[in-house]
Amino acid sequence: MKRAAVAVAVLAVAVVTFLIVGRNSAPDPLRVTARRTHYAATVSIDRPTTGRVVVDVRLTSGDADSAALSTVMPAMGHAMPEITAREPEPGHFVAEGEFFPMTGVWELSIRLNGPAGEEVLTVNAPITG
Amino acid sequence: MIRVLRVLCLAAVLMLAGAAPAAAHNVTVGADLRIAQTIAGTELTIVIKGTKRVPGPLQIGVIAFQPVTDLPVALELRSVADGRTVTGVARAAYEPQYTQLTVDRTGPHELTLRAGNETAVVPFRVLVDRGSPIELLIYGGLLVAALLMIGGLLTGALARRNQAMLLTGGAAIGLTVAAMVVIFEPLLPAAPPDGAPPTVAPTVGAGAGAGAASGAQTGGRPFAQGRMATLPARPAAGEEFTLRLDLVDGSTGRPVDDLVLHHEALAHVILTSEDGRYFRHIHPLRTAPGRLEVKMRADRPGRYLAYAELERGDSGGQLITGEFSVNGDASDVSVGAETPIEAVTPLLNPAAPVAGRPTTIELSTSSTPRPWLGMTGHLIVRSQDGTFLGHVHEMGTPGPRLRFTFSFPSPGRYLAWTQYATGDHIVTAPFTINVTASGASQ
Repeated sequence: MKRAAVAVAVLAVAVVTFLIVGRNSAPDPLRVTARRTHYAATVSIDRPTTGRVVVDVRLTSGDADSAALSTVMPAMGHAMPEITAREPEPGHFVAEGEFFPMTGVWELSIRLNGPAGEEVLTVNAPITG
Repeated sequence: MIRVLRVLCLAAVLMLAGAAPAAAHNVTVGADLRIAQTIAGTELTIVIKGTKRVPGPLQIGVIAFQPVTDLPVALELRSVADGRTVTGVARAAYEPQYTQLTVDRTGPHELTLRAGNETAVVPFRVLVDRGSPIELLIYGGLLVAALLMIGGLLTGALARRNQAMLLTGGAAIGLTVAAMVVIFEPLLPAAPPDGAPPTVAPTVGAGAGAGAASGAQTGGRPFAQGRMATLPARPAAGEEFTLRLDLVDGSTGRPVDDLVLHHEALAHVILTSEDGRYFRHIHPLRTAPGRLEVKMRADRPGRYLAYAELERGDSGGQLITGEFSVNGDASDVSVGAETPIEAVTPLLNPAAPVAGRPTTIELSTSSTPRPWLGMTGHLIVRSQDGTFLGHVHEMGTPGPRLRFTFSFPSPGRYLAWTQYATGDHIVTAPFTINVTASGASQ
């Protein structure tokens, strides 16, 4: 009887702790793909949060010389400046900066330039934390 | 002796642990309502602070964004449901004193504002959070658990095993109930606050166009059609006239009286002369259902372009445009600028803006801006011919700087005005931007 009561109490405390910890945990990494005529890319954000973030763009198709990233939040009419990405290796672009100043659904535009021409790939980024 | 000390320590620890949930149980007061109004020739923001109970106090303050000397604003608060009216007077100031009126019931109310010889009627709802049975269950469960746990441990410490087990078991049940409710609460629909407008649940099988939730129509409400007029129809330069905006529902023909606050105003009206040398950003008064009016003066004859930015309830924002002409001779007219005009040289990135690409416009300010209309800075851009108008917001640059990002839709010359509030002034800084065509193909 006593063991059962203790077990229930421990379980209840564990559930409450799990809920509190679970609610405060960091958001899941974001990984999305986008494709247009000349280019296709996988966009990854390990910590899709407000503040400074690193956006990783790997081309899966096409050959771009440069990439510039910018964001807008259509629901609020907010727009952030364009940030030029560096290219640590061919087809791999990395941009770091404050892309998402507030939580909500943001639209991330990647402007790619290469021999094939200019194209803008757009992906959605839900920012929760 | 040791046993007594042990019991006292346990009791103290449990009392502290048990106190936490009760302290977190705060009553949520509705958010403040802020409404910008251009009244008595000045720019004011009316603030109505939320109340947590009825009958209860309703605090109303009037913030001045331009220099005023003792401007009284007469307040008349009327409940639409029973017509009960209370009155008071607020004084517009940089840091206003709040006037307290008493509100007797929740639901729709009208606040009539009188300043100078102008009157505005602002409709709003008094909402008070209902006590949630769910919260009662959570905190009741936790309270019962805490009490029983204390009892259990006390009796356990006093070697009454059976009673201790019973009480501890009860505490575990209380905790379990609270935990279960915490888990399932997000799945339950939240009760609307007291005084909220009635809603209708979506009808099953009512067809593809059935409302999604809360009686809201899929796709939002029909468009509002605006008709702009001036009184007199042909105002003279330098003389006061009324700019009137009548809003009509495009599908029923009835006045549109369901405007929601859009960036702290029922409508933002941008009025510019065709050449762009005259600029006003004003917030007309609701004088009747579906009617917005503002009194003003134009300083030069010619063609004027007016743009009203507004939003219907359950709908998106929209822009209504109009134009009118002003008679007279420019030489003998003297109208002071609405706001101090500052000459600025904005820093553009890229230096030669390209159509369709984000351009960052950065400028320094004379001092750190204070929020006005919910933002620290506003940028209005108009194409030279007046066929395009954009309203851009600052995104929180620290210190005495403003930074805007905007993608100009097409090449050409744009007239731009940046606005910010500092101290008791709204500063307007005009400049122009030339946008080039994109050389690359999309």
